[in-house]
Amino acid sequence: MSTKRWVSLLAGLGMVLLLGIAPEIFSAFMIQFLINLFMMAILAESWNLIGGFTGYASFGNAAFFGIGAYTTGVLLTRAAFPFAVALPAGGILAMLFGVAVGMPVLRLKGQYFAIATLGIGETMREVVYNMEITGAGTGLVMPILRTPLTFFYVMLAILAAATLVNWWVSESRFGYGLIAIREDEDAAAAMGINTPYYKTIAFALSAAFAGLAGGVYAYWITFIDPNAVFRMTTTIQMIIMAVFGGSGTVLGPLLGALVLSSVSELLATQLATLGELFYGLIIILVVLFMPKGLSDLIRQRVFSLKYFARNLREYRI
Amino acid sequence: MHILQARRVTKMFGGLAAVSLVDFDLREGEILGLIGPNGSGKTTLVNVITGVLPYSNGDVLFRSQSIRGLRPHEIGRLGLSRTFQVVKPFRNLSVLQNVMVGALFGARGGARELAKARSQAEEVLEFVGLAHRAQAPAESLNVPERKRMELARALAMRPTILFLDEVMAGLNPAEIDEAVGLIKRIRDRGITLMVIEHVMKAIRNVSDRIMVFHHGEKLTEGSPEEVLNNPQVVSAYLGRRYAEQAHA
Amino acid sequence: MLILQVLINGILLGGLYGIMAMGMSLIYGVMRIVNITHGALIMLGAYITFWTFTLWGWDPFLSLPVTILLLFLYGYLLQRFILNLIVRAQMYLTLLITFGIEVVMVNLARILWSSDLRQVTPSYTAANFSVAGLTIPYVRLWVFVTTIMLSVLFLLLLERTRLGRAIRATAEELRAARLTGIPVGHVYAVTFGLGAALAGAAGAMWGMLFPMTPIMGRPLTLKSFVVAVLGGLGTMMGPIVGGVALGLAESFTSTFIGPTYPNAISFGLLVLILIFRPTGVLGRRER
Repeated sequence: MSTKRWVSLLAGLGMVLLLGIAPEIFSAFMIQFLINLFMMAILAESWNLIGGFTGYASFGNAAFFGIGAYTTGVLLTRAAFPFAVALPAGGILAMLFGVAVGMPVLRLKGQYFAIATLGIGETMREVVYNMEITGAGTGLVMPILRTPLTFFYVMLAILAAATLVNWWVSESRFGYGLIAIREDEDAAAAMGINTPYYKTIAFALSAAFAGLAGGVYAYWITFIDPNAVFRMTTTIQMIIMAVFGGSGTVLGPLLGALVLSSVSELLATQLATLGELFYGLIIILVVLFMPKGLSDLIRQRVFSLKYFARNLREYRI
Repeated sequence: MHILQARRVTKMFGGLAAVSLVDFDLREGEILGLIGPNGSGKTTLVNVITGVLPYSNGDVLFRSQSIRGLRPHEIGRLGLSRTFQVVKPFRNLSVLQNVMVGALFGARGGARELAKARSQAEEVLEFVGLAHRAQAPAESLNVPERKRMELARALAMRPTILFLDEVMAGLNPAEIDEAVGLIKRIRDRGITLMVIEHVMKAIRNVSDRIMVFHHGEKLTEGSPEEVLNNPQVVSAYLGRRYAEQAHA
Repeated sequence: MLILQVLINGILLGGLYGIMAMGMSLIYGVMRIVNITHGALIMLGAYITFWTFTLWGWDPFLSLPVTILLLFLYGYLLQRFILNLIVRAQMYLTLLITFGIEVVMVNLARILWSSDLRQVTPSYTAANFSVAGLTIPYVRLWVFVTTIMLSVLFLLLLERTRLGRAIRATAEELRAARLTGIPVGHVYAVTFGLGAALAGAAGAMWGMLFPMTPIMGRPLTLKSFVVAVLGGLGTMMGPIVGGVALGLAESFTSTFIGPTYPNAISFGLLVLILIFRPTGVLGRRER
């Protein structure tokens, strides 16, 4: 491993440690904000694996978030399992679902894949809505945990893991395989890459992390219902965060989550309902003016209008 | 020693036979040229052999083992590499990274370590004469350079057999001569080649034997002199009247 | 008898799904854009009708041409000045931006009309007639007839007019269309306008049958896609067939399995179709 790699790994570790002491300095409100931020960052990093590196933009990852949330929720409430078991179970079930669904769906091309995954997300919500064990439309109420810091540390740990996986993927044989699939799947296959297998693994990993995030969310929020955890808005948020930060990079999704969560929080307090409106505007502006994300902006080192103007013209009819 | 044997390979699209009952043998270490008018089934044949398209009939043996039904990545891992007629660069990667993919995954699974793949890729780039563009983004390459990168990628896979699909299209005469030299040097490294080409001068200079396709069938095969003077071949390319005129 | 009633309900609803899907199919067929704003356009049509009905007392069927025109203009401008800028971008970026536009539209709607449920209820809303033991509400029947009329008009436009030919040419082969002098930016904008107009018309009529809220369009976008895919993306007859099929499926599911199941069935159906037969029942092979 090169020096550069070592430095980035250590820097990441340092970041984690720093964040670990955060509870000492930050207010309770800030802690809650950070928990939410970590969660969004996990989702963005998880999406990045399948959408960013592999180029299969899934529009239904909220399904995995929801499955994780409900698995953990059901085990906590109906079976009285401890969180330490219920959480991994959520992640594992989400991952298995990812494999099962991924195998047929990953065979589809670009737009069909996107819509199929969108459909899966929506279907899951409707199905769970009709299931007794999940509390159907009424939802599930979790036991209360009196130590809010648990959620902070668990989310941080999962985020660290998700980022680590992204970091590993970015400079590994596996990662090269995924990127090759993204760039030109036929050429990738001709060169010896087992494309179905690689795609499924990326999708499964993506699902696993989304599921884990969902599991923590369920316990943290203490109440879940199908509309809350199977939201298309969640999927869109994770996508726009990854894209805004720079999809296909390691830090991009983190950056995107940080900036957009903060902005969203600010707007929510200042502007109430207008918050979501501005979110929509941001999406439009990002796609038009900086589809390659902040990472590219930073890497190019040009902070001029020309960059944006060029992006605007690049994909026009 | 026949490293590749095709037996009655057939590919139908609906009622149309794109490749029909093609038999041929590829000797180890030879350069077999494949020519024929546009649409005569040359690329389709390669697509069938490399698993991109399913067979309608027939079989192909690699070292006496059937490779029919294997998927493209399995074919690549066995040691059969190909270039694409319309090049398929990995646009967002550098030239070196493009070639590294070949080194990482190729025959027998390729290199497992990035460092090893990188040095293998550098060596291949040196061999094909693209080392000076190693760090350039693939997008910034011009057409001849892209073709060369495509070739380098396939070479980095350490193939036993390499299928080249019209690598010389769009090259000027000097570039063509260079390409011919390169192909021969590839053979010198122990790789067997099947070269699809339209540039007659090149195919004549580079091939040990030439196979001619027409309407999906193998019309004839033989040494370059035999084949290129064969009236049937001339007729296939230029029409019967020209062939008659040429021999009048 | 119940079966027949369920059947009729399904068919009548299916017509509406049909023209919703036609708009979606048109936009996808010509520009390869999966239009996530579709549901919001339907919603807009519904609310415009609501406004004209509530403020000026216009009959919803009579205000239909106005709604259609307004949505056409809106769609035209949207495509011409925003979407034309990203037509050649990767698929997920196009999806993302149309989603962003949808979010903006929905939230503007929330501000303008609040999230309260609204409905358009002209005097004849509850009127129905009976035939052979079946009850058919007049509104549903007229909605169905209108959807058929709109479909026919639309198909005539595509097949018989110069504009329609230009649209079809651009769909087939963009570069060639450009080379023959077709102003493709304009054609794309007109196409989106037409798709929006169809969505708006659907929305206007939906508002007569069901209550409307700013987010009413979300499930409808996906359902329109189900129908469009079922019938074959890019075809024009397909959506009608698909619409009726979905209408029937929902009607039967709702009656015989449970009212909360239709959505699960439609979305599940979408996924299954995409996996097993993405070209749909009547579709042509994807290039």
